[in-house]
Amino acid sequence: MATAALCGHCRWHWMAANPDQIINFMKDKEINIGSPVSRIDGILKVTGKADYSTDHPVKNAAYAVIFKSTIAAGTITNIDSVTAEKSPGVLAVITHKNAPKLNAKGGIRGGAMLQSPEVLFFGQHIGVVVAETFEQARHAADLVKVDYDKKEAKTDFEKLHQNGVKPKDKEDEKRGDVKAALENAEFKVEETYATPIYHHHPLEPHATIAEWQGENLILYNSAQIVNGAQNAAASTFNLKPENVRIVSPYIGGGFGSKGGQWGNLVLAAVAAKMVNRPVKLALTRQQMFNSVGLRQRNYQKVSLAATKDGKLTALAHETATHAAIEDEFVEPCGDCSKIMYDTPNSLITYRVTPMNLILPTYTRGPGKSTGSFALESAMDELAYKLKMDPVEFRLKNEPEKDPSNGKPWSSRKVVECLKEGAKAFGWDNRKMEPMQNIQGNYWVGYGVACGTYPAHQRDSSAIVKLKREGSNVTAIIELAAADLGTGTYTILAQTAADALGLSMNNITVKIGDSDLPPAAGSVGSVGATSYANVVNDVCMKVTDELIARSGKQFFVRPTALQLMISEKVADIQTRADSKPLESAEQYSSHSFNANFAEVWVNQSTGMVRVKRFLAVTGAGKILNPKTARSQIIGGNVWGIGMALTEESVVDPRFGNFVTRSLADYHVPSNLDIGEMEAIFIKEDDKLANKLGVKGLGEVGIVGVSAAVANAVFNATGKRIRELPILPDKLL
Amino acid sequence: MRPFKYTNAKDVSSAIKLATGNPNAKFLAGGTNLLDLMKEDVERPDEVIDITRLGLAQIKTTDAGGISIGGLGRNTDAANHPLIRQHHPVLTQAILAGASGQIRNMATNGGNLLQRTRCPYFYDIAMPCNKREPGSGCGALEGINRMHAIFGWSEKCIAVYPSDMAVALAALDAVVKIKGPNGEERSVAITDFHRLPGDMPEKDTNLSHGELITAIEIPKSNFADHSYYLKVRDRASYAFALVSVAAALELTGNVILQARIAIGGVAHKPWRATKAEQMLVGKEATEANFKLAADAEMADAKPLEHNKFKVELGNRSIVRALQMALDGGKS
Repeated sequence: MATAALCGHCRWHWMAANPDQIINFMKDKEINIGSPVSRIDGILKVTGKADYSTDHPVKNAAYAVIFKSTIAAGTITNIDSVTAEKSPGVLAVITHKNAPKLNAKGGIRGGAMLQSPEVLFFGQHIGVVVAETFEQARHAADLVKVDYDKKEAKTDFEKLHQNGVKPKDKEDEKRGDVKAALENAEFKVEETYATPIYHHHPLEPHATIAEWQGENLILYNSAQIVNGAQNAAASTFNLKPENVRIVSPYIGGGFGSKGGQWGNLVLAAVAAKMVNRPVKLALTRQQMFNSVGLRQRNYQKVSLAATKDGKLTALAHETATHAAIEDEFVEPCGDCSKIMYDTPNSLITYRVTPMNLILPTYTRGPGKSTGSFALESAMDELAYKLKMDPVEFRLKNEPEKDPSNGKPWSSRKVVECLKEGAKAFGWDNRKMEPMQNIQGNYWVGYGVACGTYPAHQRDSSAIVKLKREGSNVTAIIELAAADLGTGTYTILAQTAADALGLSMNNITVKIGDSDLPPAAGSVGSVGATSYANVVNDVCMKVTDELIARSGKQFFVRPTALQLMISEKVADIQTRADSKPLESAEQYSSHSFNANFAEVWVNQSTGMVRVKRFLAVTGAGKILNPKTARSQIIGGNVWGIGMALTEESVVDPRFGNFVTRSLADYHVPSNLDIGEMEAIFIKEDDKLANKLGVKGLGEVGIVGVSAAVANAVFNATGKRIRELPILPDKLL
Repeated sequence: MRPFKYTNAKDVSSAIKLATGNPNAKFLAGGTNLLDLMKEDVERPDEVIDITRLGLAQIKTTDAGGISIGGLGRNTDAANHPLIRQHHPVLTQAILAGASGQIRNMATNGGNLLQRTRCPYFYDIAMPCNKREPGSGCGALEGINRMHAIFGWSEKCIAVYPSDMAVALAALDAVVKIKGPNGEERSVAITDFHRLPGDMPEKDTNLSHGELITAIEIPKSNFADHSYYLKVRDRASYAFALVSVAAALELTGNVILQARIAIGGVAHKPWRATKAEQMLVGKEATEANFKLAADAEMADAKPLEHNKFKVELGNRSIVRALQMALDGGKS
């Protein structure tokens, strides 16, 4: 028996003393990774066979319907549920008067439900009706009469925002002397940019089936963070995490609203306990507006100073926003401004006003999508003052290192994004002066804006189970990952196939269940990075184990497939627990993009149409260009919605949303979206993580609304600093 | 949603009889508006009478040379019918500017006329609304009223009527054919069919309970070569009008023989811009004359806190729609 040894420079070139023992030369390692594979769960979804939260076949389920407060602040003095309780089919009416005591700080967003008569916002859950059918529950919910002792509510951000205070978790961040730099500036912009409240509105509204089996609680409930949902539910009901199981194989979109868990999960579990049956609870679209968070309204003041040759000398980004009365969440609007451009003087601040509105939460590109609107609009304004092409202006201020902490970039391709984007888009055809490009009754304008989002890997574990029948080897990959509809199943099958030497058809991916090994959430663009790395790791590990078991040495590393066959292994399984590279801490890792928009603005009516949109993204290795493109253009569409159509409006007299259906809250329709193109800059960031992936769920929306707004300025000469850019703002 | 009884009507007279027998019954045709309102507890009929099997879907020429559109025909079919496309392209444009393909496939022509306002205070039972609950107040008057009326509103109600189709019908002087409880038939001009809110905003139209819209008749006209429906909205599709204009011109040379202008999104009914129309008769079809007419019409507007832009937008939209009509109605 010869001895095995690693060759000097690469772990994969194994040496074998006996050439007979070379089974096969390893194929090119990346066959499936990088291929535009269609989503493997696509057929299930379009044929209705993918079970979303309340689709799961649970026997003997009762139905719960929530009812909500109709005041924004005060105390419930009486709830008359007599008629509702007598209504046909009703099993229970649950309010703060009879709900079980729960741990209010268990990690459910908005706290535990029905714990007191206090009302903190309009539309707060104040009770739930459980009945034999959904219709019976919904009808009975309308029959409950509630009396209140009303208090004055804080609902008018326009009046309140100047009294904001420093958030608990956000200190002012200062570098250099912004004030002096602004005073001495040759050119400067100091403007305030406003964004409205936006809502996530996933296609699948939040919904839960809760089933108690003794002390065990099973929750069929969409969760972007499976283990997070498990822990929050356990803590709220004073259970051990192992007594709670989250089942969430498919998620009908989340965009951050299913990152934390909300009252629907709690109330379904409470109802199931009280009627001693499984309970299904689904929110209506109208209920979604004040049930599962929102992206808060922001006033962002951006101050930029530059020399006459276009070198930035100061950047200040000061955000005023709002949070809930008893809980704080502030999206980090200044994040892009910390790292996007090189400036010796910088200031990032936040001030937050508690208001009688539902708790804000993470919303796609949290802080960065709204923050980039302010920063990148201001950059455009300053470019015009400098009479400098906005692409050139950005290139002039490219930082060599992360300006906020001095760390080297693990990779940063902003220059490439801008240059390749400008070329692909035909940026040269842009006329710098507004209102110069006229086509019939339309002004045509081009706009550019950059964006960024951090790239991180998070701890995750996975199990691989290999099985052989004859020469057919199959693998099952298991981890409590989440697929928001973005392609997690697919990229993991691709990753495992390449790592094991198997065909994708022979891989089964099991995710979305807290009984599986714990994994990171599909949040903050960590999903693909964390999941693909751990799946690659566990497949490498099982291959190592098969090699060890064979007792042979190989000149070229064989695949698990080859080993299963040659060594006649019937089955084997192993688990890996992966952590981020320790060395990754030394680098600043982010995805970056450059966005280009062409808009046509109707001169008579002010209606804006985005004719073309191009996003050029540097996001590390692209595991699947097809699902990656879908992610990017999906983000782009929402960014266009932010810019032009979406807005949740509060009537401050009541504290309610007057835009409480999708007929009033305008996500872009097909007709609003023109030609969409996504280009990826070749990148393989092995400093960020082993697989070189950076993630792109969030970055796709960042910089988009600014690109559109800048294009509107280029078209019309009108600088709109308050989104959305509705027709009346351009008259 | 309240429990209700579902009844299937066999023919027109039994449908009317069923409705006459129950003051809390509602006809159910496409259901694209009624069912939504029932789910939200805004409409509370204790019986719905399904009238989708009554026929009344034909589109045909009338003896007088006009076109009759069945009350229970689908919006999509009306929009795409060759007679409509040929003689009244403005109606095709208006119908296709409304709602979505799916909704138009379900919605009926009579139902379209009877759709209720999209005022958010009407839709939310936690809010005051005189239209939904007379005497409870108007939530919109001092509220978020960007989408609301600038013509013909009252202190009781500032809601606007949402139909696109009816705006084109108003420009075309259409007539609503109605059958009543005793089999009697009557005709109401489309411009008299919908009401201004006045002191009774709960009453949208002059249709009485138990009456059924059997057809909509459009008289013969010479507008086919010069008409246009312009809809300005917050997104390109599936949004209600901020302002819409149905414009139609009959010309001899470049002189206007007849002008028709109806405005949507500005009042509790399709708003016929009669002042502007009269100013244009006998005049040259020029942008300057269009502007004078638009100015005259919009001078009477009474905007609210959040919809002042509708005056300027209405003005521009009239001018633009007339220009498009002059150019042959092709966008």
